[in-house]
Amino acid sequence: MIGTTMRTLLAGALAAGTLVAGASSLPASAGAEEALGASRAAVEARRRFNAAFEGKTIAFVPITMGVPLTITWKDTIEREAGKLGMKFVLRDPNLDMGAMTQAVSALIGERPDVMVVHNPSVQLLAKLLKKAEKAGIHVVQINMASNTPTSAYVGADFYRIGKETAEDIVTQCGAGSGRSGKVAIVEGDPTSSVSMEQVTAAKAVFAAHPDIQVVSSQPGYWDANKAREITASVLTQHPDLCATYGVWGIMQLGAGQAIKEAGLTGKVLNYSNGGGPQIICDSIKAGLIDKYWSFDAKLQGHDIMTAVKMILQSGAAPGDLRTVLYSDTRMITAENADGACWQMPGQ
Amino acid sequence: MTARETHIGQGVIVAAVTVVAVAVFSVLLDGFATLANAVVLVRSVSVLGILATGMAIVVIARGLDLSQVATMAATSAWALKLMPGGLPLWAALLAGLVLALLIGLINGALIAYVEMPALFVTLAMGFLIFGAVRTGLLGGDMLVYLPESAKSLQILGQEGIFGIPIPVFVFATMAAAAHFLLSATSIGRFIYAHGDNAETARLTGIPVRPLTLLEYALCAATGYVAGLIMAASSASVDLRIINSTLNFDAILVVVLGGISLSGGRGGIGSVLAGTALIGTLLNGMVIMNLSAEVQNIVKGLVLLGAILLDNALHPTDEEVMRQGDI
Repeated sequence: MIGTTMRTLLAGALAAGTLVAGASSLPASAGAEEALGASRAAVEARRRFNAAFEGKTIAFVPITMGVPLTITWKDTIEREAGKLGMKFVLRDPNLDMGAMTQAVSALIGERPDVMVVHNPSVQLLAKLLKKAEKAGIHVVQINMASNTPTSAYVGADFYRIGKETAEDIVTQCGAGSGRSGKVAIVEGDPTSSVSMEQVTAAKAVFAAHPDIQVVSSQPGYWDANKAREITASVLTQHPDLCATYGVWGIMQLGAGQAIKEAGLTGKVLNYSNGGGPQIICDSIKAGLIDKYWSFDAKLQGHDIMTAVKMILQSGAAPGDLRTVLYSDTRMITAENADGACWQMPGQ
Repeated sequence: MTARETHIGQGVIVAAVTVVAVAVFSVLLDGFATLANAVVLVRSVSVLGILATGMAIVVIARGLDLSQVATMAATSAWALKLMPGGLPLWAALLAGLVLALLIGLINGALIAYVEMPALFVTLAMGFLIFGAVRTGLLGGDMLVYLPESAKSLQILGQEGIFGIPIPVFVFATMAAAAHFLLSATSIGRFIYAHGDNAETARLTGIPVRPLTLLEYALCAATGYVAGLIMAASSASVDLRIINSTLNFDAILVVVLGGISLSGGRGGIGSVLAGTALIGTLLNGMVIMNLSAEVQNIVKGLVLLGAILLDNALHPTDEEVMRQGDI
């Protein structure tokens, strides 16, 4: 009870402070703008907008930096937050799960206004994210969801990608296609939402089609070499394999290499998805991947900031909002691969 | 001589278990007992086998290298990173090798001259390499791709001779070279002596400290070769491999085949037996489409079984105990 009272008081004091600050800064600038013909409403809108972000802090905790997705997100968040007058903080746990929980715990102590997290598994940060919201931090989850919902999830709709991929595989490999109907799935880390949702969705589609046979569903742990080894084994068992579906493109490049080594390029279809970096378009043109659902990582970075803008202007307390912004996806094949991918920042 | 005989015992047991596993899989799994699958099986463990060959040298000398996979990924990634910068292919490859040797020499120096336990030196070195190479040499990248200009390197990973993939040949060559070193040269005998009893080896005039430098340098260099094979196979180096269990898998293969952690025992035959068993199990489990959890259970049980056997055959006693032993 005391905590709630304190928080209400604190919020009141903050609001009063903002009002005073706003009021003191309003006349001079508003007067000047109005004199130049700007409407009072526009001036008000700009003042409210600026006040929502200036001096606030946004923290970003990816699983690791140094991969195309996180580099791109960081680049966009940092640039757009800078324009809003926000302070940007990055904590790179370098793939170390222990370091990641420590980084998030430490951030809860530092109280940034918004925390953007990238969940390696549905459970790792589940408790900490609850704690962060209780501490008054808005949490935005990017691309990999936690079991704990927070103010916003921004990222691909992996269930839908799994479903659409599986449906495409059914038309390419199922009854009437003249193909074997044999499908192999290369999972990611089985505890990550990206892998779980795609595999669940795909298996549900395949289960409804007795003409499709899932001959293998093995975890590749996001590792191209593991995907290559698994696919090489599956191809010796089933040289008539119709399609392989990997839940992440960079990993699935390994499956593409295995298909190429087996001399089956074009005969075994390779399906995958991801953020669409240039290496993927190059590989699609080289025949290593046939169909790729791209959720553009640059647009996702922008979507993160859109979510942040909405959340901070809404005035909602952490824990009040439960929004989802699914990324737009497009399919890339050899026909439209030119210019469909993005270069990494700084390249 | 009794010690030598017991190591043959474990290698033979593991080889026998492998034969049984092959027989069982051949009966139960369609398509297991084919030449094509045999090639895939050996191909899939060739990187692990190469790593284990280097690890064997260190473990026979009663050491341990927990930085081998970090060395593997970091040095091969750096070599790839240098290639598009205008450096000729050979120079980039040489630079990677020099870096690997340097890491091995530092490991060896800290263990031999500063007398720190190998376990901690190499554990810390693994973190250091990962961080320092990534920030200092790779510009923060976790993923490094094989550049267009170095496509010729892909031959290493993607071509074959008479249907046998090149990684298998590289593994065979490395194993043969290591076998020759260990069994037919005086340095090889010194390495066994070092592992059997370092004090006695020193008293008999073996330069144990420079020898330690050589052992760790060789281990790091084999790691580099494994890294190149991996890079050529997937046209990229993914530094996340450092956080995987690959380093422990290499130790598993070595111990499984009968190279005792207490040093001085086993040989490259042990590495081959261990690699064959792991390869057979992994391949069989993938064909059976077992879940990740079941695969982990099987791998864990096999490792425990191997260590139990090692303990039973080579019990640790006060005479051979050392501070910092695992």
